[in-house]
Amino acid sequence: MIASRGARKIKPPRKNIQGDDVDLEPTWVTLSDSFREIHTQNASQLSYEQLYRHAYVLVLKRKGDQLYKRVIDFEHDWLSEDIRPRLHTLASSALLSFEEYDTKTVNERRVSGELLLKGATKAWDNHQTCINMLADVLMYLDRVYCREQRRTPIFEACMELFRDTVLKWLVTKGEDGMDLLDVLSTIILDQVRMERDGDTINKHFIRSCVHMMESLNESNTDGQETRLYVTRFQPRFLKASTEFYREESERLIRENDAGTYCRWASRRIREEEDRCRSTLSESTTDKIRRVVEDELIRNKIAEVIAMPNGVKFMSDNNRIEELSLVYNLNARVDSKKTELITAIQKRVAQMGDEINRAALAASHTPPAPAPGYSDGSTKSGERVVNQHTAAAMKWVEDVLQLKDKFDTIWRLSFASDQALQAALSKVFSEFINAATFPRGTEYISLFIDDNMKKGIKGKTEHEVDLVLDKAITLLRYVQDKDMFEKYYKKHLSRRLLMNKSVSNDVEKQMISRMKIELGNNFTSKLESMFKDMTVSEELSNGYRAYVDKLGDYDPARVDLSMHVLTATVWPLDHMSGALDRDPNKQDKAQGPIFPPEIERVKKGFEKFYLNRHSGRVLSWLGGMGTADIRAVFPKVPTKDGLRERKHELNVSTYAMIILLLFNDLSENEALTYEEIEARTNIPPHELTRNLQSLSLATKTRILLKEPMTRDIKPTDRFKFNEGFSGKFIRIKVGVVSAGNRVENDKERQDTDDSVRQMRAHYIEATIVRIMKQRKTCAHLQLISETISQLASHFKPEVTMIKKRIESLLDKEYLARMPEDDSMYKYIT
Amino acid sequence: MISQLLSTENEDVSAGKLRDDNPLDESESFHELCEACRRGDLKICQEKILEGVNINGRDSYDYTPLILASLCGHYEVAHLLLESGAICERDTHQGERCLHNALNDRIRNLLRSYHFSKSTDPLQPFAAHVTSLLSRDTPRTSDITLVCTDCTFRLHKLVLAARSPYFAETFAAAPETVSWRLPNTIPSRSLEIAVRYLYFGDVAADLGDGEEEQKILTGVEKLSQLFQTESLFESIMERDLRFVRQRRTDDLALGRQRFEVWLNDSVLANKVEVETSRAKDVRWGRNNKVFADVLLQADELVEEEDNDLESYSGTTTPRIRNTEGSLNGIPVGPVSPSKRPRRSILYPVHKAMLIRAEYFLIMFSSGFKEAQETEHLQIISVDFPPDVLEIVLAFLYSEKADIPLSLAVDVLWAADQLFIDKLKNKTAVIISTLGSGDAVTGKAEKRRRADEDDGVIDIYEVIRAGWDTRVPQLEEFGARYLAYRLERHIDTEEFAEMVQDSAARIQSRQETDTVELIDDIRFYLSERFRLRFEEAGLEEMMDDLEGSAGDAQDATEGQFQEERGIDSAERYAPSDAIPPTRVAANGVIKSDALDGTVIRTLDGKIAGDEFSQEAMDYRILLTKLDQLLEKLELDA
Repeated sequence: MIASRGARKIKPPRKNIQGDDVDLEPTWVTLSDSFREIHTQNASQLSYEQLYRHAYVLVLKRKGDQLYKRVIDFEHDWLSEDIRPRLHTLASSALLSFEEYDTKTVNERRVSGELLLKGATKAWDNHQTCINMLADVLMYLDRVYCREQRRTPIFEACMELFRDTVLKWLVTKGEDGMDLLDVLSTIILDQVRMERDGDTINKHFIRSCVHMMESLNESNTDGQETRLYVTRFQPRFLKASTEFYREESERLIRENDAGTYCRWASRRIREEEDRCRSTLSESTTDKIRRVVEDELIRNKIAEVIAMPNGVKFMSDNNRIEELSLVYNLNARVDSKKTELITAIQKRVAQMGDEINRAALAASHTPPAPAPGYSDGSTKSGERVVNQHTAAAMKWVEDVLQLKDKFDTIWRLSFASDQALQAALSKVFSEFINAATFPRGTEYISLFIDDNMKKGIKGKTEHEVDLVLDKAITLLRYVQDKDMFEKYYKKHLSRRLLMNKSVSNDVEKQMISRMKIELGNNFTSKLESMFKDMTVSEELSNGYRAYVDKLGDYDPARVDLSMHVLTATVWPLDHMSGALDRDPNKQDKAQGPIFPPEIERVKKGFEKFYLNRHSGRVLSWLGGMGTADIRAVFPKVPTKDGLRERKHELNVSTYAMIILLLFNDLSENEALTYEEIEARTNIPPHELTRNLQSLSLATKTRILLKEPMTRDIKPTDRFKFNEGFSGKFIRIKVGVVSAGNRVENDKERQDTDDSVRQMRAHYIEATIVRIMKQRKTCAHLQLISETISQLASHFKPEVTMIKKRIESLLDKEYLARMPEDDSMYKYIT
Repeated sequence: MISQLLSTENEDVSAGKLRDDNPLDESESFHELCEACRRGDLKICQEKILEGVNINGRDSYDYTPLILASLCGHYEVAHLLLESGAICERDTHQGERCLHNALNDRIRNLLRSYHFSKSTDPLQPFAAHVTSLLSRDTPRTSDITLVCTDCTFRLHKLVLAARSPYFAETFAAAPETVSWRLPNTIPSRSLEIAVRYLYFGDVAADLGDGEEEQKILTGVEKLSQLFQTESLFESIMERDLRFVRQRRTDDLALGRQRFEVWLNDSVLANKVEVETSRAKDVRWGRNNKVFADVLLQADELVEEEDNDLESYSGTTTPRIRNTEGSLNGIPVGPVSPSKRPRRSILYPVHKAMLIRAEYFLIMFSSGFKEAQETEHLQIISVDFPPDVLEIVLAFLYSEKADIPLSLAVDVLWAADQLFIDKLKNKTAVIISTLGSGDAVTGKAEKRRRADEDDGVIDIYEVIRAGWDTRVPQLEEFGARYLAYRLERHIDTEEFAEMVQDSAARIQSRQETDTVELIDDIRFYLSERFRLRFEEAGLEEMMDDLEGSAGDAQDATEGQFQEERGIDSAERYAPSDAIPPTRVAANGVIKSDALDGTVIRTLDGKIAGDEFSQEAMDYRILLTKLDQLLEKLELDA
C-alpha cells in the first residue's frame, strides 16, 4: 500500500457528510416515530444501524443542539401525556383512601397503596429501559455534542425529566398540595406502619420506589445528600418513626416488666435494621437505629433499670438473659453504660454492706470475752473465739460468693465488658475497705491461715489452686496492703514455728502469687521468713553434730532444736507476748531465768552460733518454744497394782521452766505464785497462762493449786501433783492462744498503733525520697505524689501526711520556701 | 552475583534461548531508521516502522532509535517510537541510558510516562479483548460449548480455530458443531488452563499440590498435543520470568498472525460481491464454514464523474440505502442514477471481534433488530467503502493498522463513527507523520516530498476531518503543513474559507479574538524561517530585518506578483502543481526562466543574498495573513 502511495490522487472523501446542510425534519420524523415504538416496547424490529446513522449525520451537520432539544421535548411530551395521567389517577385514588382513613379498612388502604407503588415502579423501570435504548441510538450525540457543549447526557437529562414532569407534579391542588413524591412517601410510610403493626406488605414495590428516589437528585447537581430519597423521604420516615416509637415506649413501659421491655426493644431494633436492608435503603440503617435507640432506650433506660423488676430483681434472681439484654441496650446508647453500672454498683454495695454488717453482728454477740482468759478447757471462751473466727470465715465465704455471682453475670450477661469489670472491682474494693468495717484484711489473712492449716487437707492441686485464686482475688481489693502484710506475717510465723502448715509447697505458691500480684517488696520479708526456717534447720543439724563431737554421749543432755529468726522480718512483738509490751519491765528483766541444765545448753549454742556469725546478738524467745519432758511420777496404787508412771510431757518452754522448779523441791513442798515469778522471771501474763494450763485443766493437771479456785492469784500456792495419771504416755499440755484467731479489741488496738507507726515511717521515707529528687515541691503536688507512690501499700490519710510533713519540717529535713509558703524545699 | 547473572544471561542469549532485548541490527533499513531518528524525520520513521524494522534494535555503536531520538531532542519522533512499542524500561542499562541522554525534561518525562507495562506489548489490548470474551455475557457471542465432566465453557469457534490447528481442522470438517466433549481422562482444571491459554489469558496459576498438580499437568500436556499447541505446555512449565514474558510475546505475535491469516483466508476470501439492490437477498445460514454470525455490507463508491451533482448536494442520509428498505417512513436516500448497477460487498464476520468497536458492542447488546437471533445472518451496512472496511476489520481482527495515506482520512471517519479510539489515534498519527510537512535538509528531498504530499493529501479535508472527529493533533499538523507551503495556499479560496471556519469554531464556543489556525500557522512559519537562520548562525538578522519591514509591506500592497528566482523555484513546487485559477487570479505570470544568479523575494524584489531573501519572504507571508484576516473581517 505504501509503495503505491502517490500513484493516484485521493478522492475527496465523503462529500456527503461535509459542509452541506441537511434537512432536519424528515430525519426527526423517522427518529421520533422510532422513539415512540421504543416506548411502546416495539423496538425489536427497529434497525439500530439506521437510527444511529440518522443521529450521527445530524450531529455531524451541526444539528446536535436541535436534535438534543427535540429529544428532550419528545420525552417531556411523552411523560406528561402518557405516564403522568396514569400515575396521578392512581395517586388520587390512593389519597382518597387516606381521606376516608377511618372508614376504610387497612386492607383497602394497602391495596390502593400497592397499586400506586406498583404503577410508579413499572413506569420508572420502563422509562429507564427505554431511555437506555434511546441513549444507545443517540450515542454519537452524547459523546460528541453533549461533551463538547457540556450538556447533560441524554440518559441523565431524561431521568431528570421524569423527576420534574412526573414525580414533582402536584397531585392535589392548593397551597399544601402534594406532588407525586409526597404521595409515594405517604404510602410507603403507611405500609411501613402496617408492617410494624404486624401486617404483611409487599416489600418489592417499596424497594423499587426507594431505588427510584435514590437514583434521582433533588436538583441537577450531583451528590449523595441531594438525592430525593434523602431530601424527601428520609426526614418524613424518621419523624414518623420517632413519633411511633415514643408512643410505643410509653405503652410498653406501662404494660410490661423490664425483661419484656428489653426483649421488645431489641426486637424492634433488629426489625428496623432488617427493614432497611430488605425494604428501604441501607443508608438509613444508622439513622433509624438511632431513632429507635433514642426513643426506646436512651430516654427510657434509667426508668427500665429502676423498675421493680429491673436490674436489682434480675441480678438477685440471676436472670442472665435479661441482664444481657439490658447490657446490650445500654451499650447501644452509651459506651460507658453509666445507668447499668450505677445500678449494679448500688446493688453490690448493698449486698456488701449486708455481709459486713452480718460479720460485725456475729463477732459482737455475745460480746467479746476478756483476752487470754481461757485455754482449751474453758469451753465458753473457746466458743467465743471460734465464733469470732467463724464469722471471719463466713464473711470471706460470703464475699467470695458475691464475687462469684457477679463474675458469672459479668461473664455471661455483660460480655466481659471492661468498664463493668472496673466498676465491679471498684465497688468490691469499696465495701471491703469500708471505714465501718476495719477487719477485712485480718479476715482475709485468717481465711488463708485456716485453709493452710486445715482447709486444703486432702484437696487436689486444682482445688487448692481455686482456693489460692479466691484469696488473691480478695487481696486485690484490699487497699491497706501493709495491714494485711502485718496480719499475714503474724499468722504465717505461727504456722511456721508451730509446724501447722499442711503443705510448705502451697505456702510457697501463695507467696509467689502474692509476688505477682503485689510485687517483690511485699513478699521479700515473707520469703526471708521461709529462708530463716531452712537455715535454722541446718543450724540445728550442725549444732547437733558439733555437740556429738564434743564428747561422749551424755544421756542427761538436753536436746536442742531452735529457730534463729531475723529480728526485722518476724513479727516479734506479737510473739514475745507481753515481754515487749511494757518497756519498764523489759529493762530489768532480760528474759526468763532458765534452769542451769537448760542454761548450759543455751550457752553452748550461743557459743557455737557466735563462732559462726560473730557480731550477732541472740535473744531468746521463750514464749514460742516447746519442750519434751520425761516425767516420772511416784508409785501410786492403781487397779493394775502399784507402779510407777512415766509420761512424756509436751509443754511450752515456760511451763518447762516452771516444772523444773519442782524437781528440786521435796515432796509436798509448795511454791507460791510470787515465788515462781521471782525464780523464773517469766512475764506475769505468760506465767498466769502457763499455770492455768498446768493446774486447772483436768487432763493436764500436773500441779495442784491451793486454793482450788478457777483464778490464779499471786498468793496461790502450787505443788507437784504426784497422783497425776493420764491415759496416754504422751501428754500435750496446751497453752491458750496457741492457734491463730481473731484479735480481740485490745490486740487490734495494738495492731492499729503499730501499723500507724509503721505508716508514719513509710510516709516520711516517701516524702523524703520525693523531695530528694525534686529539691522543691508544692504542697499539693507533694501530697498527691505521696499518695500515688504509696497506693500499692495502703491509702494514707491526708491529715497523716500533713503531720509527717510537719514532723519533717521540725526535724529540718524540709523547709518552707521563704517566698512561698506552700512550697517546700529539701535540705541536704 | 550480578556478573554471574549477566553471564548466564549472555549464555542464554548466545545459545538462542533468550532473545536480546536490543539485538544488533546492521541492515540497511535499520540504518535508515536511525538516521531519521537523528534528523527528526517523522515521515521516514513512520515508513520504516510500517515496513517492520525492529525499533528496539541497536546499531554498531549500541544506539537504539529511541536513544537517538531523545538524545537529539526530537520529541515527536520519540513519541512515535514509544507509541509503536519502543521499550524504555527503567532498571535496564539501555533504559537508564535513554533517560539519562534525553536532551530535555520534556522528553525525559515522556519516556518516563511510557513505563514498561505500557510499552512492552502493543498487542496487549488485542489479547485483553480476546481474554475478555471468556467472561463476557452480553452480547452473546459464543457459538460452541466445551463440555467436561463438571463444567462447561462457552467459547468461540473463531478463536479456537485461529489458535489451534486441531480445532481448525475439526471445525472445517464440521462447521455446524456446537459442542465438543473433553475426554473423561483429563481433569477439567486442565481444560480451563488450556482455554485460558487459547484466549491469551494468564496461565500461570496455583495448581494445588503433589498428585493433583501432576494430574493437571498431565492433562495439560495431553491437551497441548491434542490441540497441536505445543507452547501451551511449555508456557505452563516455564518459571523464569523473563522467559515467561518472552514466550508470551512470541505467542501473542504468533496468535495475532494467525488471526490475520484467518481474516484473510476466511473472512476476506469469502466476501460476496453483489449488486447493491440485491444485497438484501443474500442468505447465509448460521452454520457457515467460517462461523460468521453477522454480515457487514459495504457499498462501493460510485464513480465520481457519474453523479457528482446528484450525490454531493442535498443528500442528508448516506447516499445509498441497501438495507431492508424503509421502516416507519424512514426516507430512503436517493437511488443512485448511475448506469452501471452499484455493487456492494458483503463480509462474513464475527460479533466476537466486532464488539471491539463500541458501536457494535452497543448495537449487539441493545434490544434492536441487529441483536435479534435470526435464521439467516443479519446484514448490517456500514457507511464506508469496502477498502476502508477491510482496514477496519484488519484492525479489529488482528490489531493491524496498515493504512495507506490515500484512505487515511476515510479510516479516520470510520473509526470515529464506530468509536474505535485506538484506530483513530493510529490513523491520526499516520496522517500527521507520513504527510509530514516540516523542513528537512536537502532541498531536492524537500521538493520531492512536497510533490508527493500534495498528490495524496487534501490538507483542507484533513483539517476539517480533524475538527469533526476531534483530533487536535491533525489541526496542528495542518497548520504546520500549510506554514511550510503557505505561499501556495495563501491566496486560494479554500484557504480563506478554512480560516473563516476556524474562526467560527472558536466563536461558537466563546468570544475570543484569536483564530486558532492562524495562530498555529504563524507559529510554524516562524519556526520554518527561524530554523533557516539558526542554521547559518545569523539569528540577529531577523531582528534587523523586522525593523525595516515597512518597505516590504508597501511592496506587497495591491497586486501580488509571484516571481521566482531559480533558487525559489527549486524550493517551491513546480508550476504545474499550481492550480490554474490561482495563476489567473494573480493576473500576471512571470517567466520562470529568469537569470539564475539573481535572488529574488516572493514579491519579485531582488534580494541581496539568500538570507535576506528568506527574511523578506517571511515578512511578506505574515503581511498576507494579516490582509486575509482583514478581508474576512476577523480580528487577530
